[in-house]
Amino acid sequence: MHRLVLLGLNHSTAPLAVREKLAFNAAQQREALAAFQEKFPGSEAVLLSTCNRVELYAVTVTNNSPTADEVLTFLATLRGVDPEQFREHLYRKADRLAVGHLFNVASSLDSMVLGESQILGQVREAYDVAREMNTAGALLNPLFQRAIAVGKQVMTETSIGSGKLSVASVAVDYAKRIFDHFDDKTVLNIGAGEMATLVLRNFADLKLGKLLLCNRDPAKAMKLAEEFGGEAASFDRLDEHLIAADIVVTSTGASEPIITRSRFEKLLRPRRYKPIFIIDIALPRDVEASIEKLENVYLYNLDHLQQVVSTTQSQRKEAVDAARKIVGDHVHDFIAWHRQRQLGPLIDALYRRYHGLAQEELNRTLNKLPNIGEAEKAHLEELTRRIVNKLLHDPIRLLKHSDPQHGPPAQYMHAMEKLFGLEEGGDNS
Amino acid sequence: MPTTGQLALLILSIALFAIGGTLSVARTWWDKAIVRLVAKHCVYWGLTSAVAVLIWHSSLRARWLPLDDNFDALIWLGILLTLFVLYVQATRPIVGIDFFLMPVVVLLLIAAAVFGRHKPHVYVVRTWDWVHRASAYGGAVAFAVAGAVGAMYLITNARLRRKNGKPGILFGSLERLEHLTRISVTLGFALLTIGLITGMIIFLQRDPESRLGAHWFLNPTVLLAFCVWVIYALVLHAPINPTFRGRKAAMLSILGFVLMIATIVAVQYMPAGGGH
Repeated sequence: MHRLVLLGLNHSTAPLAVREKLAFNAAQQREALAAFQEKFPGSEAVLLSTCNRVELYAVTVTNNSPTADEVLTFLATLRGVDPEQFREHLYRKADRLAVGHLFNVASSLDSMVLGESQILGQVREAYDVAREMNTAGALLNPLFQRAIAVGKQVMTETSIGSGKLSVASVAVDYAKRIFDHFDDKTVLNIGAGEMATLVLRNFADLKLGKLLLCNRDPAKAMKLAEEFGGEAASFDRLDEHLIAADIVVTSTGASEPIITRSRFEKLLRPRRYKPIFIIDIALPRDVEASIEKLENVYLYNLDHLQQVVSTTQSQRKEAVDAARKIVGDHVHDFIAWHRQRQLGPLIDALYRRYHGLAQEELNRTLNKLPNIGEAEKAHLEELTRRIVNKLLHDPIRLLKHSDPQHGPPAQYMHAMEKLFGLEEGGDNS
Repeated sequence: MPTTGQLALLILSIALFAIGGTLSVARTWWDKAIVRLVAKHCVYWGLTSAVAVLIWHSSLRARWLPLDDNFDALIWLGILLTLFVLYVQATRPIVGIDFFLMPVVVLLLIAAAVFGRHKPHVYVVRTWDWVHRASAYGGAVAFAVAGAVGAMYLITNARLRRKNGKPGILFGSLERLEHLTRISVTLGFALLTIGLITGMIIFLQRDPESRLGAHWFLNPTVLLAFCVWVIYALVLHAPINPTFRGRKAAMLSILGFVLMIATIVAVQYMPAGGGH
């Protein structure tokens, strides 16, 4: 029997320092899913890893394996960290709650920035990777397809996505609190992350003095330079660029900070201690946190910017309520559909077994009544059919409307199989 | 010496400025059009009253040269500061500058009401006296602006570092505040330097036999003024030594302004001519 299990952490349960240790990039996600499949054959899994969350949706197949603990150990081992570091930050959800959570995530109702559309793309990407790795199966395929559809519906049918602040616009707003004008300022972009592109797009409106685009891959730097009308800058001369820069936007995929305190401290004098605004939107972070203690250095990471953005959320209660209703309806529908799908074969087996038994008994009786006519025979057949249907009506109704608060459908189904002898081969008896 | 009527008008001006300032601060939580309108009218009528006191005071003395006595000089300072605030808010507004400068205006007018009733010192008898007074008080206005803007810089800087998502009232960018501090300090420093030099000249003219020895330098007014001069010299030093920019410059500007106020107060209690 299949059971959906979710294990994860997000911006509200874990600080950036914890999240970044468990984060997976696209290549690591593939490796993780391959390893998961190898360790838990037959189970399904989708790994969603974004700046704000790391979540593994798994479907257990036999003996409730993998358990949440097994999933935690698996993830921690994969990232080479102690599982105890994460335990207190994790949430575990199953079945209906896990479905509801995923739909909320896809609809950005669980995002730090309510109404942001980026998460929907990230859910889709996570699902695509799982499909590519063949780890999404009978349950996760329809679940993620439904989640993406729900996310789209919420975005189009509610105003949750409008009138919001974005991380990019908050970054620009903070830059305006530090600098008065930008026509003599140099903005340095390191890396080519999607969020960084959004930030740069917002900065471009300020008529910047100079825009330097720095990347380990010169071709990528050149491409961005063409897009934003800046100059491609060599990654090898990063220190020189940092001396010139007034604003730094960094979003590389480096696993270690590329701007350390010791590195930047040496640049303060050549920079003549001029203020610098560093926007670190990389995960793991590109800039050592202790840099913010230096004079005239203003370091903002994703959490800082999103915290500001989240203050606007209370103003959109109406849209949020509408979105929650859509999500709630879809959760109900999906659970009903899924239960129906799970119950179908069971109900079918139940009917077949008891109608078979009734037919056997009817035939035995008919053999003892040789003079019975066709009309009477039909009446008796109809009678036994109705009796079986009436007898099965209550247990099937109960099964169809089983209350998940008192036990998951799987438990009801297991009980039915035991009570009515429907276990393997049971319907042949 | 101001008359009772002049003092009454001055108190009205103080009250209007105080109400206007309080309403401006109240707008942070209660930003209604009516509050804004009343606050603006209070400041305008407070300014009008202060100018009226000056005119009345000068017409009674039949002397129209400003900065003729404490009463006159401190009201002038208040008016200049108010005009500066109104000018900034009309051209390139800096939210919150009135929060910091209007209380200084109120204090200056209160000081005028208190010190203006004292028996005046030997007042303007020579051109040097007037130049000294004008430069010293002009410098004080510039340093008041530098101190207020410095405080705004520190608050903005602290908020940016706190990163708690609650920005509060936005005081303008750090760059703009720093620029304004530097301009005010540069102007104030130049005026203070003139004030110190003319003070020295006045001292020598009054007592040609004396020399600028320790007794002159250890005079509290001279010593405080010199401290202020050194502090602002450090602030102006920033382009050469950039470690003095930003937060340090803002803190020094505030310290300098406090010392400047102390100097002005010290002058009021010095024996006649001691501070000149």
